[in-house]
Amino acid sequence: MGDSRYLSRFIKGVIIMSTILIESVFKRFPNGFEALKGVSADIAPGSFTVILGPSGAGKSTLLRLINGLETSTGGSVRIAGETLGKANLRKVRSRVAMVFQQFNLVERLSVATNVLTGRLAHRSWVGSVFYLFRNEDMDIVREVLARVGLTEKAWSRADKLSGGQRQRVGIARALAQRPKVILADEPVASLDPVSSEEIMGLLREICDRDGITVVVNLHQVDVAKRFADRIIGMNSGRVVFDGTPAELSPQALRTIYRREGMEHDNSLDLALAYA
Amino acid sequence: MNKPIETLFPQALPPRPHNLFPVWLAAALAALWLIVRDLEISFETLAYGVADMGEYFSRYRQPDFSDLPRYLELMGITLATALWGTVFALVVAFFLSPLAARNLSPHPLVYRAAREALNFMRAMPDLLLALIFVAALGLGPLPGALALGVHTAGFLGKFFAESLERVDQGVYEGVAATGANFPQLVMYAGWPSILREALGYVLYILDRNVRMASVLGLVGAGGIGLALHDTLRMFNYGQSAALILVILSTILIIDYASAWLRQTLN
Repeated sequence: MGDSRYLSRFIKGVIIMSTILIESVFKRFPNGFEALKGVSADIAPGSFTVILGPSGAGKSTLLRLINGLETSTGGSVRIAGETLGKANLRKVRSRVAMVFQQFNLVERLSVATNVLTGRLAHRSWVGSVFYLFRNEDMDIVREVLARVGLTEKAWSRADKLSGGQRQRVGIARALAQRPKVILADEPVASLDPVSSEEIMGLLREICDRDGITVVVNLHQVDVAKRFADRIIGMNSGRVVFDGTPAELSPQALRTIYRREGMEHDNSLDLALAYA
Repeated sequence: MNKPIETLFPQALPPRPHNLFPVWLAAALAALWLIVRDLEISFETLAYGVADMGEYFSRYRQPDFSDLPRYLELMGITLATALWGTVFALVVAFFLSPLAARNLSPHPLVYRAAREALNFMRAMPDLLLALIFVAALGLGPLPGALALGVHTAGFLGKFFAESLERVDQGVYEGVAATGANFPQLVMYAGWPSILREALGYVLYILDRNVRMASVLGLVGAGGIGLALHDTLRMFNYGQSAALILVILSTILIIDYASAWLRQTLN
């Protein structure tokens, strides 16, 4: 009896320790494609995790599962001890913000209104459908726009901005949610190197200053090594590497980017030579 | 990867797929010919009728504008009927179309129900609806406005729903990922993304309703159509001609105005 109580407290402690707990998650799409084949990971609060892997490895699917944009076909995802399901979907989403490769802003709305959409989950629909917000929401908009350096652009339409600026609006929208977690799905894949550096620096700073847990999907190995606390490597729906950037050896990279049925992959060697 | 070089030489193509277009064309022409026979459409009668028609139209040669202020007032009533019909359609479509957009609808059954409701409204001809509403509510512009509203709500709802379906899924995901609920998703990701298109559709429907409202008067739904109906039945060709000219010029003005507005919006 005593032992089991101790055990349950211990398990609870582990759950609280990890902001995101992914337990043997499977995802099979209706067309039969198996994107995730039993992925497990726990992500500590306030950490900066980068997921690396070739296209089609399941990185995006995993991230989208954590936000509930996809539903798993097996296993479970817990956010701060709460199992993600249909009933608490919106509540979980309000604390798990998402940043997208294509920014996914509402092009015809102003920057400020796009940021205000981050407050929607915190407000009842009655006022918000008429675009009415409280003063405290406007305060948050002012604060996060200053944070991403777009105060001047507050009333510009989102489609008038450059790629880097749009992604900063995406991050501002995420910050306006006052989230526990920010998930970024290849946030710099459509950006030039300078903007990429800016965006990654911004995400790292958010992680350090606000203690927000950040999980980023990336294609750039060098960027991952410089910004991450921890790197998770994925290949064809499985976790094949999990460690610190220092532990990411050339051998580990070969495992992550290995291609099916290719023992001597010249392209792989060439690509990793400069990584 | 490296295929043997022989495969790069020209080879016989796979057999060409059959093209059935000539068969379909022949079938369509045959069907048309059968219809003409079945309906006993005689081109001979048409030829003889041209002379009679010429005589009939000549009776409209002298439009009688002595009652112009009344005609303009009646035209105003017709315009108001069209406007209220359009507003009614807009309100109904505004609430129904997000439910009838496949990618937004909260449930497949809700989607089906909304789609079928819109189909039903579109399928009911406004002339028929006007007859029903005139019988139920009496003569006047109100049944006309209702008839136009119900019929064009079906059109506007379908146009809106299809525009909402064409919005990039990423935009919906961006807003939904913040934890927004269905009404918020519609108001923040849906409508702002299609606002310009939607305004174009509304102008088109208004334009169409003005034309239709003039006709609806013929079945007793008030306005200038009712006056035209009366003068026609009294064989008052001069006044009829004046009324037709008033309607025609109004429709032309509306047509140009809405074309200009739509162009300015784009």
